[in-house]
Amino acid sequence: MTSAVVLRASALGWAAQGRFILLDLDLEMRAGQWTAISGANGAGKTTLLQILSGRRAPTRGHVTLHGATLSSLAVHEIGGRIAMLEHQPGLYLDLSGRENLTLLNALCGGQIDAAEELLAQVGLPPTSWEQRVRLYSRGMRQRAAMARVVGSSADVWLLDEPATGLDQPGRELLTTLIRQATAKGISVLMVTHDIEMMHKADRRLCLEQGQLQPVQERV
Amino acid sequence: MNTLRLTWLLLRKDMQVTARSKELVGVTLMFAVLCVLVFSFGFLQSGAAAIRYVPGVLWVTLLFTSSVSLLRLFAPEEEGGTLALVSMTTSGSAPLFWSKVCLQLLFSALVCALIVPLVLLFFDARLSNVGTVVAALGLGLIGQAVVGTLCAALLAQVRLKEVMLPLILYPMLAPLLIAGVKVTALSVTGVESPALSNWLSLMMVFDLIFMVVSPWLYGRATQP
Repeated sequence: MTSAVVLRASALGWAAQGRFILLDLDLEMRAGQWTAISGANGAGKTTLLQILSGRRAPTRGHVTLHGATLSSLAVHEIGGRIAMLEHQPGLYLDLSGRENLTLLNALCGGQIDAAEELLAQVGLPPTSWEQRVRLYSRGMRQRAAMARVVGSSADVWLLDEPATGLDQPGRELLTTLIRQATAKGISVLMVTHDIEMMHKADRRLCLEQGQLQPVQERV
Repeated sequence: MNTLRLTWLLLRKDMQVTARSKELVGVTLMFAVLCVLVFSFGFLQSGAAAIRYVPGVLWVTLLFTSSVSLLRLFAPEEEGGTLALVSMTTSGSAPLFWSKVCLQLLFSALVCALIVPLVLLFFDARLSNVGTVVAALGLGLIGQAVVGTLCAALLAQVRLKEVMLPLILYPMLAPLLIAGVKVTALSVTGVESPALSNWLSLMMVFDLIFMVVSPWLYGRATQP
C-alpha cells in the first residue's frame, strides 16, 4: 500500500550568482518513508534541505506540505511540522542539554517534562545533562541536537549529515531512532556521505547536476 | 502560547546565558567607565564650563556603550544556529525581537545607573530636574534598544558588522540623541523652558514610530 505524500517539491530551482544549483527538481516524501540523498560537495544538498524546510525560498517551483504550499503557511506552522537537523546543533551553547530541550519544547508548546527522557533516549549520560552544551564533544552535541528533533511533534524530519561526529553505537542509535520515527509515520529525509547509512534507508537518491536520480539506476 | 509568555521565556534564557558567559556585562560596564574617564580627561574644565559638557558626554557614552552590547545581542543564536529554529517554533518573530529589546534595555539601564553618577561626579554637576532627566533617559534607552535591536538583527549575518552597525545606527538615532542632549542640558543648567516638553514629545514620537516599524521590518527581514 502506498502511503500519503507528506512533502512534495515540484520543478524546484535555486540559482546562485546566475547559475542554477537545483534545476527542475521533483521530490515526493511519503509518510513513514526514509529517504537518503547523497551527492558531491557543493551539489546543493544542504540548499535543498533549507528550501524543503522553508528556511530558504526557491528561485523556481514550489514545495507543498500536506498539499499546502510552504509560502502560504505561517513560519511557525512549518516549524511545527518540519524538524531540521543542520550542521549547527540548533542549541544554545551556554545552556545545558536539559535546559535547551526544556526551553525549545516550551517554545513549541510541547513535552516540557520530557527533556531527561529525550536525553537518555539519545544516549547522553545523566552526568552531562546539566553540563553546558559548549563543553560537549562534537558527537555529544549531535546527540543533543537529535534529541531536539526526536522531541518535536513534526511529521517530517530533515537531517543534514546526522551521523557526523557519532561513534558506532551512536550511528546504530541514530538508525534505531529513525526506524522508530518511520514506524510512527514520520517521513525522514537524510543527506549523507556515509555509505553505511545510505544503505539502511528505504530509498536512495543522488543529487547530481541539480536533479535527483535513484542510486540503483546509476549503478 | 501568547507572545508575552514566549517573550518572557526567551528573555529568561538570555539572562541565564548572559549571567553564565559573564564577559559581556563586565566588558560593557568597563567600556562605559572608560568612556566617561576619557571624556572627563579630554574636557578637563571646572565650574560652569564643565557642566556644559555633561549632556553630550552622558548621551555619547550611552550611545557608544550600546554598540558594544548590541554587537553581541544575537551571538547566542548565531553560535548555536538557533535563530531560524526559534523563529520557526514560536508564533512568528515578535517574541525573539521583543526579548532582545528587553535584554538590551536591561543592559542600558545597568550602564546608565553606573555612568550617570560618574558623569555628575567627574564634571561636578547637579540635576535640577531629576524627573525630567529620568524620563528623557528612559525614552532614550527605549528608542536605542528598539532601533539597535533591529540593526543588530539585520546585520547579524553580515561581514564587517562591527563597522556597519555604528554607520547605520548612529544616523538613525540622531533625532533621539539631539533631543536627549537638549533635555539634559536644560535640566543641568536649571533653565525653565517650554522647549523641554517639545523635546520630550519628540522622543516619545520617535519611540512610538520605531516600536511599530521595527518589529514589522524584523519580521519581514527574517522571512525566507
